[in-house]
Amino acid sequence: MDYYLSVATFAALHIILAVGLNLVMGFCGQVSLGHAAFYGVGAYASAMLSVAGWPFPVAMLGGMLAAGLLGVITGLAALRFREDFLAIATMAIGFIFVGTARKLAWLGGEMGISKIPSPLSKHEYAWLAMAAAVLLIIFSLHVRRSWMGRAFSGVAQDEVQAQTIGIDIAGYKIAAFFLATASAGFAGGLYAHMTQLIVPDAFGFVVSISILAMVVIGGVGSTLGVATGAVVLTLLPEVFRIINDYKLLVYGGMLLGVMMFSPQGLAGLLSQCVQAMRRRKEAA
Amino acid sequence: MKTLFTRRLLIATAALACLSGYAQAQNIRIGFQVPLTGPAASDGKTALQGAQLAVEQINAAGGIKGRSLELVALDDQTQPAQAVPIANKFIGDGIKAVISGSYSGPTRAAAGVFQEAKIPYISAYAIHPDIVRAGNYVFRTSFMGEVQGRAAAKLIADIMKKKRVTMINVNNDFGQALSAGMKEAAPKMGLQLVSEYNFGMGDRQFGSIVASVKKDDPEVIYVSGYFFNGGPLVAQLRAAGVTAPIVGTEGFDTVNFVQIAKEAAEGVIITTSLDRDTTDPTMRKFIDDYKKRFNVGAEMVAASTHTAVNVLAEAIRKVGIDDSAKLRDAIGATKNLSSAVGTITFNNSREVYKAAQIQVIKGGEFKRFAVIDDPVLLAPPNY
Amino acid sequence: MYYLDLLMIGLVWGCTYAMMALGLTLVYGLLRILHVAQATVFTLGAYAGLLVANATGSLALAFVAAIVSSCVVGVLIYRWVYEPVLDKPPFVPLVASIGLLIAMEDGFRLIFGPYGLSFTSNPWFATMVGFGGIQINLVQAVLVITAVVSIGVLGWVASSTRLGVGLRATVTDPAMAESFGVNRVQVRTATFLVASALAGVSGLLVGMLNNLVEPGMGGLIAYKGLAIIVLGGLGSVSGTLLASVLFGLIESFGTVMLDQVMDRDAVAFLFMLLMLLIRPQGLLGKGR
Repeated sequence: MDYYLSVATFAALHIILAVGLNLVMGFCGQVSLGHAAFYGVGAYASAMLSVAGWPFPVAMLGGMLAAGLLGVITGLAALRFREDFLAIATMAIGFIFVGTARKLAWLGGEMGISKIPSPLSKHEYAWLAMAAAVLLIIFSLHVRRSWMGRAFSGVAQDEVQAQTIGIDIAGYKIAAFFLATASAGFAGGLYAHMTQLIVPDAFGFVVSISILAMVVIGGVGSTLGVATGAVVLTLLPEVFRIINDYKLLVYGGMLLGVMMFSPQGLAGLLSQCVQAMRRRKEAA
Repeated sequence: MKTLFTRRLLIATAALACLSGYAQAQNIRIGFQVPLTGPAASDGKTALQGAQLAVEQINAAGGIKGRSLELVALDDQTQPAQAVPIANKFIGDGIKAVISGSYSGPTRAAAGVFQEAKIPYISAYAIHPDIVRAGNYVFRTSFMGEVQGRAAAKLIADIMKKKRVTMINVNNDFGQALSAGMKEAAPKMGLQLVSEYNFGMGDRQFGSIVASVKKDDPEVIYVSGYFFNGGPLVAQLRAAGVTAPIVGTEGFDTVNFVQIAKEAAEGVIITTSLDRDTTDPTMRKFIDDYKKRFNVGAEMVAASTHTAVNVLAEAIRKVGIDDSAKLRDAIGATKNLSSAVGTITFNNSREVYKAAQIQVIKGGEFKRFAVIDDPVLLAPPNY
Repeated sequence: MYYLDLLMIGLVWGCTYAMMALGLTLVYGLLRILHVAQATVFTLGAYAGLLVANATGSLALAFVAAIVSSCVVGVLIYRWVYEPVLDKPPFVPLVASIGLLIAMEDGFRLIFGPYGLSFTSNPWFATMVGFGGIQINLVQAVLVITAVVSIGVLGWVASSTRLGVGLRATVTDPAMAESFGVNRVQVRTATFLVASALAGVSGLLVGMLNNLVEPGMGGLIAYKGLAIIVLGGLGSVSGTLLASVLFGLIESFGTVMLDQVMDRDAVAFLFMLLMLLIRPQGLLGKGR
């Protein structure tokens, strides 16, 4: 039971991370290769607050704000950079975060932060994570359909065009970054309290790529697709323990395969299927 | 026709399934957490081999009271984040005892989970102090970081008779634990720590550190790292003209280290748990059997996991595997057990005492340099 | 002396990065693709060279093997992975490249084992070359010379040969270039040949320098290579060179001076980030 519960909780955390990254990538057309850094900042901030004696809600809030702040700064920097630069810049942020967390003693150094108090039970974490995930999905879907979403797509399609109709691109980009990173921070806080031990390596480049994979395989821009991608990729390693030795080979191959044959990911495949069925119905 | 065949096939399959299930029920299953992928994959492979050899030997000798020992290995990818879910998987699958053949980070992460589930957990070679402090179900069958540091300090001060030391550490649990051990023991032995440098596990180019060491001109260089760091580092130090003796730790105890560093490996001294020149029959048997089975020289990591399996097997032999509290106590009561890493005894805090083997590389081979058998100096802490 | 040593180390590292980064900047300039999978070719060159060197004892053959294998695979990557997705949004070739890199790294581990392979005989490794009181080993010297020579040759090709001019034209204005008779496929293939050859040779040299060829050796160098081309100004060759050298120097000095604050990789990336905030188009990139 415990095992399934922990998998379910991780799946929910990954949904939060992936849907958040989707806000940035899908809606704003910005590629972020460093999302794990925000996850990590949230984890570290909330862990340090908890260890210092602050109550759980305060620690979680602290984690969200810290991550959100870094996110806003990244968003501001993103204004100055074009797309390709941003990918590398966010990758750099990821490496800088890990590199610094590794070295500074007050961040725990290589050993990380341990003995983080765990105020909730395993069930409570699971429910909290899933509730947050559902909330984020609903919010993300709502944004998509609302004026903000149209503005976001506008930004993605053509910045210049959007600018001429008077959309405040800068504002929306920052908002997207803040949303995405604050929720990543929340996920980080949950993760820290659940596992009671965090180390810099848990938030490295590989993790950023995993989150990116969830978004890409699910289908960039599609909230539900991305959430599905997150669940699938969380369950995959569990299922794949049988083929364990070839895990990364399969993982990389999947990324490659999806990009080559269905860049819109699962969501794209689904919509293609639906369209094909519709066409067949009309023809019949 | 077809249906008769199908039916027979189904019956045969069912029978086979029952039989294997029965056989499984007969086997004693122990968990083995090991990094088969990730940066520690090389040590992980060696660790698995050591454990496999132990299991094969035990089963060849009749198993444990007639039942076969079965090793259930799971890959933790060298990541603490992965160690927690697989710990839960072991527990969910009904595994009653687990050995960690992994590095300190992932072992430390899993220790808390096993302690809470009251499953005996043995760290075969991960040295971070916090691992065993997770609770009374966690044990370690190898040297703690600080004990190794003390051994190295004694080696440098009393046996090599040097004073000025430069430390070069790898940036992780392993390196930090060793450096803490050395820093604590150095002043007591009269050593002077001239300088300290750090590198990452992925580093292979040490140009700046080498230049700095050259400038510092120490009498001895103490390196904590793995063979894939130490090999290039030692080679680059010698190539730059640094002639000071180099003392390494068990991370260097592999054939690969010599292969990478080549001539530069000559004269490098390491603190480890395996003595290639041993006359101790159990250690000797392990070294010979490992070579025969895997066609490659034995290494510390393999010896450590081999030992951990044997410690666990001995305890299971005494009290069975079903009562975890009894098993825990039986493991803790291990005294003077002859193993691949020497004679070991647990103290009250579930750490072991054993002699430190000091090996030197001569002619591309590991040879005995000294043995530090000092129960007082090398006593693991009691807490 | 000490600072001179650090300077020399920085230059050697800078040259190593330059060889990777040159290829990356050529590919980016031509196709606007961040060729992360360049790391695959780097590692492949190292393995191919090592296997041939250990089997035949000839370093010359090893280099040939490195160049040939990396060129073949490099062009295949272009044909099979990039060409089909050129019309898709930019994240598609980037993610495909990353997927390829992850898969190949694991592939190398499965084929060659996780331990890493060493050269049975590596004479250049032990030979020291000295000048002006500084000692570097022969492999490092060869690295520097190869980098300098490659840059020189590429510079000459770019300005004086049909192919080079065609390449520059295609970068600036592909349609116009084609109407002048420049063969697009030829130019692209040539670009990947050059980029891959550079990566393969530097892979072999780095393998010799460490006396260790490992499945994951290309990854971090590729990521830093990307940071370098961004820092230099995407698409600008001279910017890339400048950035490579700077990176090498920052790492060399940063490793010992900022030791307590952050690790080596972080130092280099931080520098890049700060420079970008001041000059978003990169050191020598063209403004927006």
